[in-house]
Amino acid sequence: MRGTSTFLTISGLACFAGLALAEPAAAAGPTCDGGAISVGAVSTITGPADFSEVPKAAKVVFDAVNADGGVNGCQIDYTISDDKADPAVAAQAARDLIDNRQVVALVGSASLLDCAVNATTYKRQNVLSVQGLGVDAACFNAPSVSPVNVGPYTLTTAMLYYASETLKNEKLCAFFIIIGGTQEAYKQGIANWEKITGRSIHLVDLTLPLQGDLTPYLIKARDAGCDAVLTNQVEPGVVQWVKTAEAQKIDGMNWLFLAPGYTVEVAKALAGTEQPVYVGTEWEPFTETGSTANAEWIAVMEKAGRSLTAFSQGGYLAAVVFLDVLNGIDGPVTRDSVNQALLTMQPKAYDLAGSPYVFGAADRHAPMQATKIMKLEKGAWTVETPDWVVLPSVE
Amino acid sequence: MNALFTSAVAGLTAAGAYALLGVCAVFTYRLVAVVNFTGAAIGTAGTFSMIGFIALGLPLWPAVAAGVAVGTLAGAAIGFVMTRWFSEASATTKAAVTAALLVGIVAMGLRFTGGQHPQEFPTLFPGSAFRLAGVEVTIASVLTIVLAVAFTMLADLFLNRTNIGLHLRALSARPMAAELLGVRVALLSQLVWAVTGAFTTFALMIIAPQRSPDFMSLSLLVVPALAAALVGAFRSFRLALAGGLMIGLIEGLTSAFGSLSQYRSIVPFLVVLAVLLWSQRGARWDEAR
Amino acid sequence: MKHASLRPVLTLLAVAAVAGAAVVGLLPGYWIFLATSVLITAIALQSLGLVTGRTGMIALCQMSFAGVGAWTVGYLNVAEAPGGLALWIVLGGLAAVPLGVAIGLPALRLRGINLAIVTLSFAVAFDAILATITFPGQVNFLAVARPAIFDSDSGYFIFVLIVYALIAAALELLARSRLGAAWLAIRHSERAAAAHGVSIPMAKLSAFAISAFIAGVSGGLLAGYLGTLVSENFSMMQSLVLFAVATMAGAHLAEGAIIGGILVTMFPELLRRLDLAQDIGNVLFALGATQALSTGETIAETFRRLKHMLARRLGREREITAAAAPLGDLPAPVGRASGPALQISGLTVSYGRVVALDSVDLTVPAGSVVGLIGPNGAGKSTFIDAVTGFLESYEGEVRLEGRPLEGQPAHRRALGGVRRTWQTTRIAPELTVGAYLDLAAGHGGGPALDDAQRNAVLAWLGCPDPATPVAQVDAGTRRLLDVAGVVAARPAVVLLDEPAAGQSYQETLALGQRIAEIPELFGSAVLLVEHDMDLVRSACSSVTVLDFGRVIAAGPPARTLEEAEVKKAYLGIEEERASA
Repeated sequence: MRGTSTFLTISGLACFAGLALAEPAAAAGPTCDGGAISVGAVSTITGPADFSEVPKAAKVVFDAVNADGGVNGCQIDYTISDDKADPAVAAQAARDLIDNRQVVALVGSASLLDCAVNATTYKRQNVLSVQGLGVDAACFNAPSVSPVNVGPYTLTTAMLYYASETLKNEKLCAFFIIIGGTQEAYKQGIANWEKITGRSIHLVDLTLPLQGDLTPYLIKARDAGCDAVLTNQVEPGVVQWVKTAEAQKIDGMNWLFLAPGYTVEVAKALAGTEQPVYVGTEWEPFTETGSTANAEWIAVMEKAGRSLTAFSQGGYLAAVVFLDVLNGIDGPVTRDSVNQALLTMQPKAYDLAGSPYVFGAADRHAPMQATKIMKLEKGAWTVETPDWVVLPSVE
Repeated sequence: MNALFTSAVAGLTAAGAYALLGVCAVFTYRLVAVVNFTGAAIGTAGTFSMIGFIALGLPLWPAVAAGVAVGTLAGAAIGFVMTRWFSEASATTKAAVTAALLVGIVAMGLRFTGGQHPQEFPTLFPGSAFRLAGVEVTIASVLTIVLAVAFTMLADLFLNRTNIGLHLRALSARPMAAELLGVRVALLSQLVWAVTGAFTTFALMIIAPQRSPDFMSLSLLVVPALAAALVGAFRSFRLALAGGLMIGLIEGLTSAFGSLSQYRSIVPFLVVLAVLLWSQRGARWDEAR
Repeated sequence: MKHASLRPVLTLLAVAAVAGAAVVGLLPGYWIFLATSVLITAIALQSLGLVTGRTGMIALCQMSFAGVGAWTVGYLNVAEAPGGLALWIVLGGLAAVPLGVAIGLPALRLRGINLAIVTLSFAVAFDAILATITFPGQVNFLAVARPAIFDSDSGYFIFVLIVYALIAAALELLARSRLGAAWLAIRHSERAAAAHGVSIPMAKLSAFAISAFIAGVSGGLLAGYLGTLVSENFSMMQSLVLFAVATMAGAHLAEGAIIGGILVTMFPELLRRLDLAQDIGNVLFALGATQALSTGETIAETFRRLKHMLARRLGREREITAAAAPLGDLPAPVGRASGPALQISGLTVSYGRVVALDSVDLTVPAGSVVGLIGPNGAGKSTFIDAVTGFLESYEGEVRLEGRPLEGQPAHRRALGGVRRTWQTTRIAPELTVGAYLDLAAGHGGGPALDDAQRNAVLAWLGCPDPATPVAQVDAGTRRLLDVAGVVAARPAVVLLDEPAAGQSYQETLALGQRIAEIPELFGSAVLLVEHDMDLVRSACSSVTVLDFGRVIAAGPPARTLEEAEVKKAYLGIEEERASA
């Protein structure tokens, strides 16, 4: 209610300002006095992980727009900053973009720790981030960040929901690697599933090590009689997990993984396995190159000669969302006008995602609440759910 | 009780790995007097090269050989730095050098291996050897333990019974004096570095599929390895072997105690602490200081 | 507090004030933000410089201590504890101290490499623990509150600058204290430090505790700087990188810490501007540290050397001058009862089957100079090691002024009144002559000598003046400085191990005279181990001859040195010397 009235007031004011300032024949739309519109991204590129495909895909979109003459004549100047997964460097990178590059917003960031380190800074400096790939828990728990992906915590709920409602598994078990600040978020993810389905989880283990032998954990799952096991292992760990299960000759358990397990490399590395392996996707499955939902994204990426990965969907989607927001601005594109547009935007549906995207003025944002489930079949991913698995809202 | 035993057996895989790397650390220390923090990183470099060679289309075993060769070269390269510039330095300085080098090697390793992207690690020895307490004990973990035991016995024999072994011991105690006795110090140390490089590489190739196969985690296997070596006071191969097995089994045991297993990477630290407190009962002065 | 030692501290504070004003006045916001990061890193580096640079122990878990400080500040912030950030960071530092001590404890008496292993495994263990604990306040989006007047970027810079200046000044004062000298001495030689009465465990532990405190403070400052933190801020890799940078820059010096801070902060900035990958920084730090270790010279030390060279070019460098003072300024001798100062009976030392000393009896009467001679390998140095507590075990009894010394560690014996010198001099070259004398003469409290007394002792032996760096003193004079050190402590007994080695004939004669004067001037009895027979004849009132660990003769020098068995033992020596 309050949101609507704010919206009305603000849009009223904007109309008034627009009328007052409007030159006689000026067309509505974004303008840029200072030349280009400066946009940035903080991403982990070197160090323990490489998320650079996300912002690079966003860059492809912006480059294409620039080549076409820009947004209403304004070129977009896009800067990608590496944070090395080092908090000090991440903080520096963010301040560099805000203070020196004078970015109007952050778009397509994808980092192991950008949100956790910088969300406070973004709030202090009044900058918003359309995160290309939210990884750490703060991405879904901060007023100034709204990711275009589902994220591991909502996906935890979604995978459990799929296992209990579609696979009809009774005893669900969950094993998590907990790194800084994610414990509460994963627990919340499980609690949400329990609220939605009215069931309770059979076994939760929050002690998975980041590295090391997994045998004890698989033995534990087997001895607990789990029907399906969900873990938040990332790429190499997914392979290690399934291989350890094979080494222990475990069968009759469904293995559920989150989006980081959904890569061509994982499928190849596990080509020989008989184990039932499921993953949840962040967006329309990227391996489905024939799907119409992917058509535009594929066209843009192939034109730029970039490979088709899930990461690149994130960057693409973030850039497209941002362009739509830009186009809705009347008048000069500044940090303030972009903020206003994002905070007051209406939910907008995109083919790539199962839920409409919205930023809005809430204290935390997790607009994406839908996934598609993929199953591993002989070294390739196949779609298990042609329709989106959309989570019912939690009471 | 049974749960405890099961957990301990599940820790065998790690135990063999730690023991093998621990014995390698003692070998390096006794022969070239360096506490080598880059030990596991050298092996990791070789292991990742093997994957590279496979990606280039080499069949498995030639790729293994090529990977071991790269590990040997990496070991020799670190050895070159150590013998060229630090042969006369104190043990502390040498340890400081390898600790600093580790920073650089991990940074480069992560770069060349693409961070945490999964690499398909071929299992050199697939399958399980036998079933114990409801746990499949893999051939690989049996093999690491067997290798560790074999290496322990060989190293003992080599150092105590052969001429070269005696030369090498003289070398690590007093490089200058050994030089005067006509021992070709630089060449021999180079050789030791190369051999340990080859050995750790092969060890890591066996271990890698059972661990989180990214460059940093594998390089950090040096921590339990050094803890194991410390159990043997950097002298005794057998105690180091026992230490490595113990650390692995204790780590496995923690998973029997629910939330404890979250903290299992503390085990090497606790073992180091206990060993040092125990070995410190009598006052001792640093040699030659 | 002496005026001279306050000057560098005041200089440091003045430089900090001017630099701070310049940064705040001239630089744009972003650079002030970076400068704050430089200072916080510099504080962490100084904590590492204390253990690694000064005391010579490898510590690879410094960022873990910082993590303790940061998390403590986080909890206090969430609990809205009174006192604000300024108090919280102190509490954060204090929280890290017990941990520092606990980790230092097991590595006290063993080889330095063990500490490296303990600290690295601790860093890994701490990673695992910290990763499971979300930074307090992060879930509720509660940033660490800065003090109101320091809330802005430049305000917080000033806050951090004040903390940095306080810590740097305190460290500077510490470095000039006896404890500071003891740390340097330990790094150079633990035995020599213990021989000056320094308790090695206490000195190492204090270094570790202070270092952990400073690291904890730096962590607390980081919490205020970024508002919220993640465990990666304090990961093992961060500790390793900090170690590499400290080694490269020379973090035990105030300017070295700043240089290191600039490297850590500006490298990412530079790489970003050059569009280069961020991981190049770590590779360069590793190479830089290796280079510094191989040359034995850090960046800060290179700068100091260049400054000296420049000063020498310009003819501004001070010359080494001999200390000058009247003999009357010497400290008053300590009155001693007559009777045996040192009495050794039945001293037996064996290594396995080899008997190094076989039931040796020897008495040094108060007020006398006794010689102990014998061919190489006769057991003279073993004898001194046994008496001064540097052997793990021996049989027999050592009595100092009637009290048995058995069971006392080396530094207790030194404090109790048995001081020694070494065959090869073991003075830490980083000290000044005056600081060394203070260390050697001290009994644990403040300086034992005043300026005039210090000058007089140095002048008496012909040593350079107190401000001279030991590094610039030649080897022969360092041996005299050793003697100056032990007599300045005015103990009951001094044991001199071949003080004339490497001296010219003239110098040896002069030294003999001085040694003979020691009982009268300082009240200490002397046991002199020497090969130079002229020195023994001129200085000693009696002499004991050792051969193969047994006493073969004892008595006044003139008679004893003529005995047939002694001559036989020494003829061997003469032959050996001729052939060598």
